[in-house]
Amino acid sequence: MSSVLEDIQKEIEKLETKTVKSNVGTIVQLADGVAKLDGLSGVMYSEMVEFPGGIFGVALNLEEDEVGVVIFGDVSQLKEGDEAKTTGRLLSVPVGKGLLGRVVSALGEPVDGKGPIDSEERYPVEKIAPGILPRKSVDQPLATGIMAIDSMIPIGRGQRELIIGDRATGKTTIALDTIINQANINNQHKNADGTFEEGFRPVYSIYVAIGQKQSNIARTVKALEKAGALEYCTIVIAPAAANPANQYIAPYSGCAMGEYYMQNGMDSLIVYDDLSKHAVAYRQISLILKRPSGREAYPGDVFYLHSRLLERSARLNEDNGNGSLTALPVIETQAGDVSAYIPTNVISITDGQIFLETDLFNQGIRPAISVGLSVSRVGSAAQVKATKQVAGKLKGQLAQYRELAAFAQFGSDLDAQTKAILDKGDRTVELFKQPPLSPKPMEVQVALIWAVENGFFADVEVKKVAAGIAALQEFFVTAKGNVLDKIREQKKLDDTLTAEIKEAIEEWKRSWKA
Amino acid sequence: MRQREIKDFAKRLVELSLDNERQVSADRVHGVLEALQAKPPRQLKALLKEYLTQLRRELRQTQAVVEYAGDLSAATLESIAAEFTKLTGRKVTAVGKPNPELIAGVRVRVGDDVYEDSLATRLATLSIPNF
Repeated sequence: MSSVLEDIQKEIEKLETKTVKSNVGTIVQLADGVAKLDGLSGVMYSEMVEFPGGIFGVALNLEEDEVGVVIFGDVSQLKEGDEAKTTGRLLSVPVGKGLLGRVVSALGEPVDGKGPIDSEERYPVEKIAPGILPRKSVDQPLATGIMAIDSMIPIGRGQRELIIGDRATGKTTIALDTIINQANINNQHKNADGTFEEGFRPVYSIYVAIGQKQSNIARTVKALEKAGALEYCTIVIAPAAANPANQYIAPYSGCAMGEYYMQNGMDSLIVYDDLSKHAVAYRQISLILKRPSGREAYPGDVFYLHSRLLERSARLNEDNGNGSLTALPVIETQAGDVSAYIPTNVISITDGQIFLETDLFNQGIRPAISVGLSVSRVGSAAQVKATKQVAGKLKGQLAQYRELAAFAQFGSDLDAQTKAILDKGDRTVELFKQPPLSPKPMEVQVALIWAVENGFFADVEVKKVAAGIAALQEFFVTAKGNVLDKIREQKKLDDTLTAEIKEAIEEWKRSWKA
Repeated sequence: MRQREIKDFAKRLVELSLDNERQVSADRVHGVLEALQAKPPRQLKALLKEYLTQLRRELRQTQAVVEYAGDLSAATLESIAAEFTKLTGRKVTAVGKPNPELIAGVRVRVGDDVYEDSLATRLATLSIPNF
C-alpha cells in the first residue's frame, strides 16, 4: 500500500504548477462533422482543437471572425455553445512495427480488439513530401505476383501506380494479391529465428479502406489473415459509416505509417482503396465549410488533395537510408469514363495506371487488365531481367492480337500469319488468367511465359490451356524446384538455364494429357 | 445590404460605441441605437444581430471573467484587472463568477485567451489521450 502512495506522491510532484494558457472558442454551428466556432483567434492552420468529452478536431478554415473545424469521433456528443480550445499540436498517429498485424482507425486507434498499439513513436499526419535531392530513380522491382502486371506493366519500389476501373472489376483483388505476394516473398527469405536473410529487403504493407462497407472490410481482413499476410500488414479503416472527417484523414494517416518505414531505410507499400470516395468525403466537408465549388462540385484544391498525398511516395537514395514507399491508389470510374474529373487528376499524378475493363471481366478474362490502356512509366527500369527476357515483346504482341481479333470478327478468310498471331494471342490471354488471391512467384511466371512464348502450347486446345498452365506450374513446383531456384537466384536466363527450362517442359509435356 | 456590408457597418457602429479609453460605453450604445431607430437602414434586424455579436466580442476583450472556487476577495479581483490591463495595453475590468467545478483555483478569460490555474485542469491533464 505504501508503494502505491509513493507512486501517487511522485505523480503529484511531476505535475506542472504554472498557469496554463489556452485559446478558446464557442461552437456556433455544427453540421455533418464540421463545426464553426466563434473565437479561437490564436488557432493555427491544421492545429488540433479539443472539444468537451475528449473529442478532437482539426482547424481547416481560418476566417476573419470564425474558424471551421472538422471533427473526428462522435459528433452527437457536442452541441451549440460548447467551448473548444487549441492544443498547440498537429494531428499525429502512432507509427512503427507495433502496427503490423493490426486494424486501426483513421487516428491510429486499435479497432481489432487486440489491445493497445505497441508504439513509442508518432508521425504527423500531414507532412511535406521528400524534395528532389533525397530522391532516387525507381530501380528495384515490386512484384505483384500477377503475371499480366509483372510482365507487361511492371511496378518498381517507390512508384505510384493507379488501379482504375468500374465497380466490381477486381481492383481490390489486384491490391490484395500484391500485399499477399509481398508477404509470400518476405516469408521465403525469413530465417527460423524470425530475422531476414542478409541483404534481403522485406516490404511492409498498409491497406487504407476509405468509405467502404464494413462487410467488405471484414472480408479483406479475413482474406489477408487467411493468406498469412496480416503479420506484414497494417489496415487503416474509415468505413462508409465513419464521419467524413475520418474518411478525409485516413489516407494521410496510412501514409504517415508507411513513411516511417521509408524514413528508416525500409520498403513499404500502401494501397488507398479508394480515392474516389476520399474525394467525395472531402467535397462534403468543403461544401459544409462553404468553400467555393468547381467542376462536379469538387472544391478547387481537390487536385492538391491527392497530389500532396501521392507525392509522399518516393524512393530515397542511399544517403537518406535507401527506403521506399510504393503507392497503389485505386479509383472507381463510372461506366468506364476515365475522362471524369477525379480519374484524370489522379492519372496525371501517378506514374502509370492499370486499367480494368468490365467487358474483359464479363468475358472471363480475369484479372480484367486492358493491356492497351495500361501503362507503367517508370517500372520497366526495375523489371527483373529474366522477366524482361521472356516477356519483352508480349505487350506489343497482345496489342497486335487485339487489333486483329477485332478485325477477324467479320469472318473473312485469314492468311496463315494472321491466324498464327491470333492462335498465339488466344493462348497468351489464357496464360494471363489468374484466380484471385493466388499470386505467382517471379520464377514460376518466367517458366510459364517461356513455355507459351516458345510454342509449347501451340498444339493445345485454347480452352484447355488454363488447365495445362496449372499442371505445368504444379510440375515445376513439385518436381523441378531446382530450376525455379536457379531462376530466382540468377534473375536472368543464360543458355544453360534456358536448356534446363526447355528440358523440364518437354518432360512435363510427355506425361501431360490434355 | 450584403452580409459583408452588414458586417463592416456593424464594425463601424462598434467603433462609435467606444469611449475615449476604448471601453464600450452604455451611453454611446444608446446613442447608436437611437440613431438607428430614427433613421432605420435596410435589413435593420440583421444589422442589429451583427452589432450585438460584435459588441459581445468587443466586451470580451475588455472584461476579465474570473471563475473561482472558494473565496475571492475584491482586492484580488482588482489586482487581476490591473495585471491584465498591463498585459493587454487596454483597460480591463474584472468580473467574478463562482464555479465550484474548478475544485480549487481560478480561471480567467479575456477575449479568446483563457488562463487557468485550477485543480480540475491539473487532474484533467492526467487523463488526456496521447494524441
